[in-house]
Amino acid sequence: MAGGRAMTLGKDMLGLRGMPREDIVRVLDTAAALREVNARRIKKVPTLRGRTVITAFFEDSTRTRVSFDLSAKRLSADTLSFSASTSSTRKGETLLDTARNLDAMRPDAIIIRHPAAGAPHLLARTFGWSVINAGDGINEHPTQALLDLLTMRDHLGDLQGRRVAIVGDVLHSRVARSNIFGLRTMGAEVVVAGPGTMCPPSLRALGVELRHRIDEVLHDADVIMMLRIQRERLGRAMMASTQEYARLYGLDLDKLRRARPEVLVMHPGPINRGVELSPEVADGENSVVMEQVSNGLAVRMALLYLLLGGTDGGRDAVA
Amino acid sequence: MLWLDGARVVCPASGRDEVGAVGIADGRIAHLGPGRPPPGAEVVDCAGLVVAPAFVDLAVHLCDPGGTWREDLRSGAAAAGEGGFARVVCAPDTDPVVDHAAVAREILLRPPPGARVDCAGALTRGLAGQELADIGDLVDAGCVALSDGRVAMADTLVLRRALEYARGFGVPVVLRPGDPALEAGGVVHEGELSLALGLRGVPAAAEEIGVARAVALCRLTGARLHLSHVTTARGLALLEGAQAEGLPLTGAVPARHLLLTEEEVDRTHYSTSTRLHPPLRPEADRRAVLDGVRRGALMVTADHLPWSRVEKELEFERAEPGAAGLETAAAATLEALDGDMGVAVRALAVAPAALLGGEARLRPGGPADLVLLGPAGAPRPVRTRSPFDPLRGRPFRWGVLGCWREGERIGGAPLRGSGPPGGLSEPRGG
Repeated sequence: MAGGRAMTLGKDMLGLRGMPREDIVRVLDTAAALREVNARRIKKVPTLRGRTVITAFFEDSTRTRVSFDLSAKRLSADTLSFSASTSSTRKGETLLDTARNLDAMRPDAIIIRHPAAGAPHLLARTFGWSVINAGDGINEHPTQALLDLLTMRDHLGDLQGRRVAIVGDVLHSRVARSNIFGLRTMGAEVVVAGPGTMCPPSLRALGVELRHRIDEVLHDADVIMMLRIQRERLGRAMMASTQEYARLYGLDLDKLRRARPEVLVMHPGPINRGVELSPEVADGENSVVMEQVSNGLAVRMALLYLLLGGTDGGRDAVA
Repeated sequence: MLWLDGARVVCPASGRDEVGAVGIADGRIAHLGPGRPPPGAEVVDCAGLVVAPAFVDLAVHLCDPGGTWREDLRSGAAAAGEGGFARVVCAPDTDPVVDHAAVAREILLRPPPGARVDCAGALTRGLAGQELADIGDLVDAGCVALSDGRVAMADTLVLRRALEYARGFGVPVVLRPGDPALEAGGVVHEGELSLALGLRGVPAAAEEIGVARAVALCRLTGARLHLSHVTTARGLALLEGAQAEGLPLTGAVPARHLLLTEEEVDRTHYSTSTRLHPPLRPEADRRAVLDGVRRGALMVTADHLPWSRVEKELEFERAEPGAAGLETAAAATLEALDGDMGVAVRALAVAPAALLGGEARLRPGGPADLVLLGPAGAPRPVRTRSPFDPLRGRPFRWGVLGCWREGERIGGAPLRGSGPPGGLSEPRGG
């Protein structure tokens, strides 16, 4: 297994918790180098020719799956898509049995999204192929955080001492959790705001500052990251009406005026327009939402490249 | 006669802790104290080892009837013997539930080799927490305790009525302290680590509320209550407050909670053996309940809940909570207590036996229900069917070297003896 994996990244990408700073930097640098491929007329390099990458999604997803699929294709890997709605998990097959079947097809990497935290870890410690976590329960969504870090770095340079505000359901957000781990590792300050059910005081244990109202985090933030409200996923009595949420915790032009003029507005998508972001803010000049999507492709290419055997920071792919 | 020679005899119930010999004949303790073996006795050199009353567990899950692919009376009783338990009470959450005398008899009329298996009856029909089970019939059929199952009862009124009703029948009621609504969806202790691992937590408050409710209902109804799982500092404080008040309330902590903390979930990368209810707690709680055991406020349970690969080889939050524990509980308890034999024997034998109206005491003429404890030997064959015990495979300093029930060997490796086999061979069963 170890041969050809000169990187310290190891076999899998399960989360940003505990991921060393130099590894994060290596992924971001590689992604930045690979962006050039996506700007070509022929958007394809042969790096992963003959390798098989399977996306196994046990939760609905469009953008993350498409992004992974395209990133593997641009590196010339063969890709196969597997989703729970069309598969035997609906017939009661266990995750391990599903994975054993995929294993029998000799994949090189499996990208998994799953509603249960730790599901990618279960596969990673059971099988020899690389596992990339594309979101596990409320635990982590590391590629989203890496693409967010890349987007921030593009605009702000070194993130040391930068101030990132995360607003919304931080407690149940894997995007927020991975971002918090990554941002703290990169030396950024993180402040979170939201209703008490979504931002309880215990969050301070993750090394973040805690505020209640969005107004308390706007004025000094370099980045405002708005989280998606997923009403269908919220437990009982987590929030009052959507209208109240939008008024108190949503970002509109009026609130944005109280922020720094150059502040970056980010959102992992898909946006609930009029809830987390007003349309004017979502489409406004502070919004970098579409850059996030582009960077997602580059970050996922970088991870596949690094985990599946690249050794020189992407230079052979873009040479 | 089997002669355990030169052992340290530890019997907290009689205040005995001295080096001497224990002679076993006809299922009874024929000799206790200094002395020489009679002619023909099978002598085992027990220098450096400890002889103590065998252990008792008030709530083991043997899944028989209805779940015998996980465990059955035979494998469970063999595991108990291997772990030093000569008597266990099986929980009523079988299929069908022990809410009818016929089910109790179905269990009690099949005594397996190994530990003595008693049976607890359900407080409510189907353990559903709505209607009372036929508690009088259950007790008359031989149930030695009553219980509310694996999840705390939601309806406090039904619980009150059940306790009032049960009180007259003279058996203890085993309750799981918790709050079902507050616990729902939680899979680990709620706190810093649940945040870091991205797993939904069970707040310690759920256990505190459960203990507080039990204390209040104990005061209200006068029922004899035993709390099966006390794992938090505050839950313990509430229990000790009630005990100081003189209420008939006892509690137990799973042995694994004396040794492991929530960190075990992280260390094992979400191993489902660490998916437990109640969950493993932070270090401060572990220390607090361990001190509670030292003070005699808590007894220790194996919390044996054997799951098969079907229920455990899953995603962490989808796996059933619980783990096997009969074969590792004593070693874990001794490990956590740094080999304090007196405290361990009180917590594993004396206190649970007393709750059942019995006595774990070594006396000449008394039943030879004994354990032999000492430096852990080579790993023993596993008797439980369940592969899921977070303590299995850990190096322990002490272990159960032998267990006898009424003079019959039911656990432990063969001993170095002077004569032909008899009490010294491999235990039967399993």
